[in-house]
Amino acid sequence: MVTGTPPTREAYYRAMAGTLPPETLVVTSLGNASYLWAVVRDRPENFYVEDAMGLALPLALGLAVARPDRQVVVVEGDGGMLMHMGGLITVGAAAPANLTVLLIQNGVHAASGGQALTNAGLDFAALGSAAGLKGARNIDTEDALAPALAEALGAPGPSFIALLTAPDLEVVVPPAGFDPVVTKRRFQDAIEAPRYVQTLFGGGRLEERQR
Amino acid sequence: MNAVHRPSEILETLERIGVTVAVTVPDGWLGEFLVRIEEAPWISLVRATHEEEALAISCGARLGGARTALVIQNVGLLSMGAGMVCLAQRYQFPLLILASYRGTPDDPVFYHVPKGRATEPVLRGLGLGYAVADRGRPIGPQVESAATYAEEGSCPFVLLLGREDVQW
Repeated sequence: MVTGTPPTREAYYRAMAGTLPPETLVVTSLGNASYLWAVVRDRPENFYVEDAMGLALPLALGLAVARPDRQVVVVEGDGGMLMHMGGLITVGAAAPANLTVLLIQNGVHAASGGQALTNAGLDFAALGSAAGLKGARNIDTEDALAPALAEALGAPGPSFIALLTAPDLEVVVPPAGFDPVVTKRRFQDAIEAPRYVQTLFGGGRLEERQR
Repeated sequence: MNAVHRPSEILETLERIGVTVAVTVPDGWLGEFLVRIEEAPWISLVRATHEEEALAISCGARLGGARTALVIQNVGLLSMGAGMVCLAQRYQFPLLILASYRGTPDDPVFYHVPKGRATEPVLRGLGLGYAVADRGRPIGPQVESAATYAEEGSCPFVLLLGREDVQW
């Protein structure tokens, strides 16, 4: 139901948590995009991008290319998207079928205190569609997210959903401190990514793990 | 004695050491080299719009377990600083970066020269490991050593390449 006030990030995240299959790989961008997702559904299959504004989307693209056997969902912010808009174009061109892009459109740079965006009124679904992403749409109720997400995950992508969201300027405290290397290794263990064997141990190569 | 075709040697090395994803922003020297990568069945090529974006794509592919090569012009090393520090180095991604080295005394094009002058000081400033390819030695082992350095050090490593190394 549209109330005039956009849903909160948390309302969307609750809908996501109730919809995403457990094996989905989720990449979240800086600030509350990661902190709140860690509160709502912390899992080894989450990769939290700290700082590195605008790079969650291209990182997720690389992940989707490397792991076509897994669904990848990335949560990017509108400020980050504007900072690296080219990433959306590259996603459309590379066209990984297993990537779904969720854009939190709150119209501000929330992670840095709520400064105004360069252009808060962009039609991101139109941009996503022009870039070649599938089923691109703008959503302004949390109830609409679950079916849209299920549709995106059920069809070849890349898909794009922009979520009109109320700004959340208060920093959410995640359940545990973020250590980037721990986050990376936990994620790679969870997806059984090939491990590098050092030359000292007769390696110098990536070794497949037993799946 | 027939001279070894160095760009071919690089491709053969990438295949042999198991690089399966290449990410690129083009350069004049790299054009045909990238076409050859695109045509190779053993490797996927992603053409990015900006080098910092390309860096993040490489990080993501490596996160997923693919060995990658980031193939760019050296100017990209100047423009990817934030992503290098905040993502690639902070998360300790082992990345092989092959960069055409424009603006050196061997390539004194007026608009490349400023980039050539700035490249190595910037790499040192970022704390990046790097090497300039030695044209007197085979290029394949130099690429393999660069990739090994990146993996053993859990960090990006840059190999700066001359025209004869990459121009087909």
